[in-house]
Amino acid sequence: MTRFLELDTVRYGYPGRSDVMLDVVQGVSLHIAPGAFHCLIGRSGCGKTTLLKLAAGLLQPQAGVIALQGVQVTGPNPDMGFVFQAPTLLDWLTVLDNVLLPIALHGKVETAQHQQAIELLQKLGLNGLQSRYPQQLSGGQQSRVAIARALITAPPILFMDEPFASLDAITRSELQQDFLTLCQSQGTSVLFITHDIAEAVYLADHVSVMQSGTICHQLAVDLPHPRQPALRYTADFNARCAELRLAMDGNL
Amino acid sequence: MRREHWISILMGLAFICLWEAWVRIAQPSALVLPAPSVIAQSLWQGLASGYLWPHILSSTRAVVLGLMLGGSVGFVGGIVLGESARLRGILMPYVVISQVVPKLALAPLFIVWFGFGTLPIVVMTALICFFPLLENTVTSLQHVDPQRLELFRMLRASRWQTLWRLKIRAGLPSIMAGVRVAVVLAWVGAVVAEFIGANKGLGALIIAAQGSMDTPLMFAVLVLITVLGLVFYKFAEWLERRLLQPPLDSQKKVEK
Repeated sequence: MTRFLELDTVRYGYPGRSDVMLDVVQGVSLHIAPGAFHCLIGRSGCGKTTLLKLAAGLLQPQAGVIALQGVQVTGPNPDMGFVFQAPTLLDWLTVLDNVLLPIALHGKVETAQHQQAIELLQKLGLNGLQSRYPQQLSGGQQSRVAIARALITAPPILFMDEPFASLDAITRSELQQDFLTLCQSQGTSVLFITHDIAEAVYLADHVSVMQSGTICHQLAVDLPHPRQPALRYTADFNARCAELRLAMDGNL
Repeated sequence: MRREHWISILMGLAFICLWEAWVRIAQPSALVLPAPSVIAQSLWQGLASGYLWPHILSSTRAVVLGLMLGGSVGFVGGIVLGESARLRGILMPYVVISQVVPKLALAPLFIVWFGFGTLPIVVMTALICFFPLLENTVTSLQHVDPQRLELFRMLRASRWQTLWRLKIRAGLPSIMAGVRVAVVLAWVGAVVAEFIGANKGLGALIIAAQGSMDTPLMFAVLVLITVLGLVFYKFAEWLERRLLQPPLDSQKKVEK
């Protein structure tokens, strides 16, 4: 199997009281293949967000190695996109300028890139909204803008930190569908964090369950692509959800 | 909104009418409380004869210069202190001390240092109005949403870009609130400094009018200062609206 993103026995702790390090991530190894959709699930406080920030170079591991395409990760690099838990849009910029921010910070935006941003917004169902301001959009639309901003540079890998957690169920499933289609058409690898088991099974090719700083269970989701909403009600789907639920409860 | 506006204006007019009526009935000494009509007459004469204009110009110039000096020192200082925790630790106590000292009591000292004339008044005005801007700039730079900071790190923005495109821009409403406070305080600073050490300017004119027992002129100058202060405040408000316009102006939510 070709390895694309590699985490090798990565450890990270926050300084606690009296110089004791509180290990949040304890020797995690993880491999993600090119174009794969990898979900990381776990309860609040299990260290999954810390692991994501380590992989994205926002934090430096205290031990272990992280490599992207064979190169060690020492900080954020242009091959990565990141979608935060909240949309984190800049409310003084229009939707279009928000999407183009990653380009505007590193030089002048060209006409072709403008066009590309508008096309990306169209693919995400935001036709005609490019000159609006974020506070004029609904929560779901704001999440879509945040995804467009992460994808505008067409990064080979996307890191996502529970981006759909605050959306209502219907908006979320629409967004999951559109997002999955877009990632597959661009061949983007994704490391996706969630605490929602059904979301993980629906989106991922591979799910890792995290518990108190370690990965306690792995599951390859061999359900066929492209995935349709009806899949959620099949026995196959529910069997995998049940397995993950058991793993999260520590009974596997 | 319109209606409150009218009620507010009517209240002011009613107050002036009552004042006028009371003075005509009770007839207090003009030295204590002149009638609004007498004040208006004094104001009109002063403006028409050109007597007031040099004082207006002198005070306005002092306020504008003081605001520019104090405002830029406050803004730049706020950025420096907001960005460096170490400098903040070292310098912030002195900044606070400079504000706790009764600045107006320093005016006689400023006259000794800078002589009579515009300079001590400008320095006094600057000293009074730099603080609200500094305070608000420091605070707003430190209260940037951590997730937005992480976004800028993820996008590999330089420190300068993060400062300019994120921190200052996100803090602009609070920085502009500091400007509004500074504009009001600037007039207080200039007028009081002129009380003490000037032979020109609206503050000096109040003292001169007191010396010649010309109470209507004192009131006329007070009216002038109020109007000028109001004009400056309105200008600051207009500037704020212009700078913050697009996002705040179109704040109505559009339903999906």
